[in-house]
Amino acid sequence: MIPEIGHLLLIGALVLTFIGGSLPFYDLVLKKSFSQNYIRSLSILISLLVAVSFTCLIYSFLVDDFSVIYVATNSNTALPSYYKFAAAWGAHEGSLVLWILCLSLWLLGYLFSKDSVNDHFSSITFAVMNQVIFAFILFTLFTSNPFERLLPFSPVQGGDLNPSLQDFAFTIHPPLLYLGYSGLALPFSLAIAAMVTKNIDSLWARTARPWSLLSCTFLTLGIGLGSWWAYYELGWGGWWFWDPVENAAFVPWLISIALFHSLIATEKRGVFKNWSLLLSILSFAASLLGTFLVRSGVLTSVHAFALDPERGLFILWIFSYFIFGALFIYIFNNTKTQVESTYSLRSIEFGFLLNNLLLVVLAISIMFGTIFPLLYEAYTNGKQVSVGPPYFNFLILPFAIGLGLLQGIGLFLGWSDTKDFKFFPRIIIEALTILIVINILLYFLFGSFNTGSLIACFIFAWIVSGNLLDVFIKKRTFNKIKSFLNFRLGAVFAHLGIAFLVLGVGVVSTYSSEKELILSVGDSYDLDSYVFEFEEMTFKQGPNYIADVANLKIKEDGRLIKLSSEKRNYLSTNQVTTEAGIVADLFKDYYVAVGENIQGDTWSFRLQVKPFVRWIWFGALLVAIGTLISSIKHLRKGI
Amino acid sequence: MVIAITLVISALSKNLNLFYSPSELLEGNITPGNIIRAGGMVTSGSIKKSTDSLEVVFSITDFKNSILVTYEGILPDLFSENAGVVVKGFLREDGSFLAQEVLAKHDENYMPPEVAKILESKE
Repeated sequence: MIPEIGHLLLIGALVLTFIGGSLPFYDLVLKKSFSQNYIRSLSILISLLVAVSFTCLIYSFLVDDFSVIYVATNSNTALPSYYKFAAAWGAHEGSLVLWILCLSLWLLGYLFSKDSVNDHFSSITFAVMNQVIFAFILFTLFTSNPFERLLPFSPVQGGDLNPSLQDFAFTIHPPLLYLGYSGLALPFSLAIAAMVTKNIDSLWARTARPWSLLSCTFLTLGIGLGSWWAYYELGWGGWWFWDPVENAAFVPWLISIALFHSLIATEKRGVFKNWSLLLSILSFAASLLGTFLVRSGVLTSVHAFALDPERGLFILWIFSYFIFGALFIYIFNNTKTQVESTYSLRSIEFGFLLNNLLLVVLAISIMFGTIFPLLYEAYTNGKQVSVGPPYFNFLILPFAIGLGLLQGIGLFLGWSDTKDFKFFPRIIIEALTILIVINILLYFLFGSFNTGSLIACFIFAWIVSGNLLDVFIKKRTFNKIKSFLNFRLGAVFAHLGIAFLVLGVGVVSTYSSEKELILSVGDSYDLDSYVFEFEEMTFKQGPNYIADVANLKIKEDGRLIKLSSEKRNYLSTNQVTTEAGIVADLFKDYYVAVGENIQGDTWSFRLQVKPFVRWIWFGALLVAIGTLISSIKHLRKGI
Repeated sequence: MVIAITLVISALSKNLNLFYSPSELLEGNITPGNIIRAGGMVTSGSIKKSTDSLEVVFSITDFKNSILVTYEGILPDLFSENAGVVVKGFLREDGSFLAQEVLAKHDENYMPPEVAKILESKE
């Protein structure tokens, strides 16, 4: 009964979004603006229907209703209830409903913010959002209905949630990522509304800015959490794999950053209007393309749930409708008014221009590398190829350097021209000082000096001195610092986050050490002067798995660190997973993954020491906090 | 723009790994030493593990032909007989494959698309 209610509610939401998506047309026909009176109540109703429908799905999981195919495939009675709850979005069908819920929440958020007034602009935005939600509900109902029943022969026991997904980070990673992805639909809808109502002005830019910032916040958190999860769960100790699905989230992230920077220039100076419109469309295009890549299973990927060409085709239709439709509107409605303001090569406008150029070209290059195997296969009639991680590593380096250098001076540039360049030599001196200090620190920590991390360390020092140190030295008085931080707090946080991220990436890529080897109980191994000793093997009984636990000791300057890595066997599916043993301090992680039993007391191991790896996620967290601060500041101010 | 395109093309040309089935590998058109990827099912009973090193030898098959793969390192948890696998490495002069990387995906029902295609074309 409950699943049927969920199904019906979703159909109800479909009907409502269809009505909502066509509201402005009734205005046209009736020649008056009556739609504005209904958009708020309609969106509350839609969100409510979707939310209750999603609750029905969660309920079916909690009561183990295995007559529902989706529940039967992704859960079983032995699964702890916390994971049953999260299993609702553990696979394709349920995650779509969550996606729809996110979309309707964004709509609600916009309509009840200070930015939204009762006008034509709001109702067009509302209509476009409704069309997006409508398309996704249609997609769910026709290709991936989570409420489908398996009657009369329903199983008494379910399959299981993929064991590597039974984990805390996993339970919140998808909702965060979906919020980010789907959030980009809002700047998109606002851009359409701006074009249709011919309001391509600074008011529109100011309305769109906090929402693109907020999408970026959620994307950052989602991606960061995914990276952290992959690090400790997959047992490889890697934190980024250039997996197609990682790229599918990374590309919209880059474009959303380009977008909110460009929107600042549009808002303050009226420049880059058409570019901001295009970026709004592009960011949603990247988000839809990402969905297509993840959901159609066309690419070899950890995340590919299903090989289903029908789904892929459907998403391509959605993509074509929205993106080509938007570009069509753009062709006829872009603004042709020349902006009277000019800017020099030393202005903040030019800084934003470079920032956007680098971000967008990088995003397109990454997307190109990600879908190249598809193009190649189509072109050569089925020959298969893959693009290796070195492609992406090689590409990102020059862009990252360029963006990093820009960030250090970005906050000192003035609109249209910067007259005072005295800060420049000062930042260089400060940055070099920090650089030397860091490298001395690294030398003392790891007993060696590695030139490979020099660029990353310099970028870190450069951004830190440009964003923080120089501000404090220059402004001296407390009040000046306070007003500066009040004005720029979000930006400073986010830029410092990038600095920490760059430093983490640079150091972990050059100072890490790793060894795969065989150890018997009692053996020890000296990995770069860290001595790992295999102490004993124990057995553990978990709620829905059994595990062999390898216990190790690490000796470090007289300190004794204990850690253990598990080889788990999940009983319902007989699937084996590895739980890495990780002990972390501020500067490094010890990382041990137990391999397989060779014979008797002898096991294979992967031992790793990963310096500064945590700084990557700490940096991402700072970026998320920074963008959140800026976003809230603008939302509270309203327009 | 030109710089970006040059960068992309040069990066791409260095990092493309073509994918082959065991049958294609045996046709002999592949230069030994080039980094490529190959995929198929792990032949049952073919896994031979050393007891004093991490070396493992197994064969992968597309049910027409099979090829011997050597790998030194820890295998993924989902690596097993009769499961789909993708290996990255190079062909040696003696016709066997030296793998630098072994990929078995994170779901027991999941089949790498490349392997699924090989198995389809067999039918």
